[in-house]
Amino acid sequence: MYYMGVDVGSVSTDIALIDKNYKLIEKIYLRTKGNPIKAVQEGFKILKSKYYDSEITAAGTTGSGRMVASAIIGADVAKNEITAHATAALEIDKDVKTIIEIGGQDSKIIIINNGIVTDFAMNTVCAAGTGSFLDRQAERLDIPIEEFGDYAAKAVSTVRIAGRCAVFAESDMIHKQQLGYAQAEIIRGLCDALVRNYINNIGKGKTILPKVLFQGGVAANKGMKTAFENELGFEIFVPENYDMMGAIGAAIIASEKVIKTGKTRFRGFKLADNNIFSRSFDCEGCPNKCEVVKIYENNNIIGYFGDRCTKWSSKTGEITKLA
Amino acid sequence: MKATFPHLGNVYIAVKALFDGLGIDYVIPPQNSDHALNIGTKYSPEEICLPFKIMIGNYIQAIEQGADTVILTGSCGPCRFGEYCELQMNLMKSLGYNLNFIVLDMPKDIGIKELFNRLVSIGSTSTKSKFEKLKAAKLAIHVMHLIDETEALSHYLAGYERNKGECKRLLQECKTEAMKCSNPAEMLSLIKEYKKRIEYVSVDINKNPLKIALIGEIYTVIEPYSNFYIEDKLMDYGVSTKRGMTPSWWLKNMALSPVKINSLNIKKASREYLSLEIGGHARECIGEAILSYKEGFDGAIQIFPLGCMPEIVSKSILPSISRDFEFPIMSLVVDDMTGEAGYITRLEAFIDLLERRRDNVLYGS
Repeated sequence: MYYMGVDVGSVSTDIALIDKNYKLIEKIYLRTKGNPIKAVQEGFKILKSKYYDSEITAAGTTGSGRMVASAIIGADVAKNEITAHATAALEIDKDVKTIIEIGGQDSKIIIINNGIVTDFAMNTVCAAGTGSFLDRQAERLDIPIEEFGDYAAKAVSTVRIAGRCAVFAESDMIHKQQLGYAQAEIIRGLCDALVRNYINNIGKGKTILPKVLFQGGVAANKGMKTAFENELGFEIFVPENYDMMGAIGAAIIASEKVIKTGKTRFRGFKLADNNIFSRSFDCEGCPNKCEVVKIYENNNIIGYFGDRCTKWSSKTGEITKLA
Repeated sequence: MKATFPHLGNVYIAVKALFDGLGIDYVIPPQNSDHALNIGTKYSPEEICLPFKIMIGNYIQAIEQGADTVILTGSCGPCRFGEYCELQMNLMKSLGYNLNFIVLDMPKDIGIKELFNRLVSIGSTSTKSKFEKLKAAKLAIHVMHLIDETEALSHYLAGYERNKGECKRLLQECKTEAMKCSNPAEMLSLIKEYKKRIEYVSVDINKNPLKIALIGEIYTVIEPYSNFYIEDKLMDYGVSTKRGMTPSWWLKNMALSPVKINSLNIKKASREYLSLEIGGHARECIGEAILSYKEGFDGAIQIFPLGCMPEIVSKSILPSISRDFEFPIMSLVVDDMTGEAGYITRLEAFIDLLERRRDNVLYGS
């Protein structure tokens, strides 16, 4: 008997299976590569050979692709990332006060007081300072992203990099690299810049109290962890499954939901082999001209998204309903 | 003359009433859409704020339908909106459009006589008598107030309704039907009727819905396209919302400002945090945040376009208010992105946060 959580993020798609004691049994980390549907199917292909459908007694989704994923897999709940991350963090440590979460497109700060989320903030308009930007810089410098943090750790001093905008940061990095600064120092400078920007933008007006958990894909970067510790002046903690926290949280929330509803809506692993694809069209029903997305499974429509008036999405009724 | 004007929420309904009453030919630009934004982004200065771009889209789409005169409100205020009319005039001219602009500025900036002249120039193509013109203006103002009240009512009752979606449906229907009316009197009675119907929507007074105030920059809080139809979404979530900024509030505020008795409650509320007029509606944003806390709201959402100077100032003040009153406030910045997923996540997370604070829920669904 397992609970499944699927976190469809902009950069990675994570699937976590936890047992009834909320212990992580299985984790699958896949690159979304711009195709959330395919990523979920890939994950299910791996799971199909190991588990029976009946072993999954609850399924939840989170991440920016949660609605589409929920429609495809038949999730019991599709929950936003803030709640999912906070749920998972509180499960491993009841004393956590602050969660720093940096993912592919989003960075967030979650403030917890006595086990309740009392405040949060997210990056407002652009994805500067998030994982996809680090990803892109690693690619540009031809360093595997997994080793990016080690480079920063090697640096003895730091180079100042502009941090408010990813485009500014990139130009700054290129200009400094062309002047001959060492790569390791530039990378460390980038980490410092991202942390500076995080504290000043996301963390503005918030008091960051220990204990701090650092989670999300970027937490793998040791340079970022060190930069945060230098800035805050105390130790921060990266949980063991830092990259699975969203998925674990979604699984926990789903398990609670199923206790209420009594039965899971999970559709099974068979969808791994089905032909799932999407088509979008401009609805001509009114001047809003919504871009509507249709999701097909073997030529049957299983969901509509993107219409404002719910003319289309109501046809799929419950699957598009927000949690 | 074939007049047009930029969209701002429900203003088009009142403008229809006005021009129908005056018997002036007019074009209502197609409702704001990605298409209007695309046109605007193509021609506007790249760094300008979002409202400017959407407005340029409105003009060009209206010109395609024969419009030759733009009626626009102005402000010589210290925010960029003060330069909108001049910039837009130059821009439209350099694009080769022969467009006449009538800018309704504040009397203190252009003088009451000049404002009067400009108003007369709008009315000059009307064949109606002076009395009828005044009557049309009065009716249009009445329509503006009534549609704003009707909208506010349905946004508030959406949290209490028994049949989910009824308020939203009635409001939508009211707007659609109003646009089919051929004269302002007919429109007025139709909106009245809808208002009554919304008042009588079956509600559960024992419900205790979340209440959220929408504050921030005037264009982006009022114009639904620019804020991802946030009020519709909140209605779907069963949240009661309040928005102080409305076109009718703006009219009243303008009319009372020369004698400095405008929005006294807001000025008083904001005094401790922002005692000066810094342009735009920063002071209103701060004042409304505090007022909504005092009125028992659960939280507030600030919306503003990227780079908006006054709202950047208020955004940096809001965390102090949030801390002092333990009142959650979330800021949303809008620009020409049309992907909604990020906004929906923030909205859902904010609602979750408010619910959990209220119920003291540790976690879970």
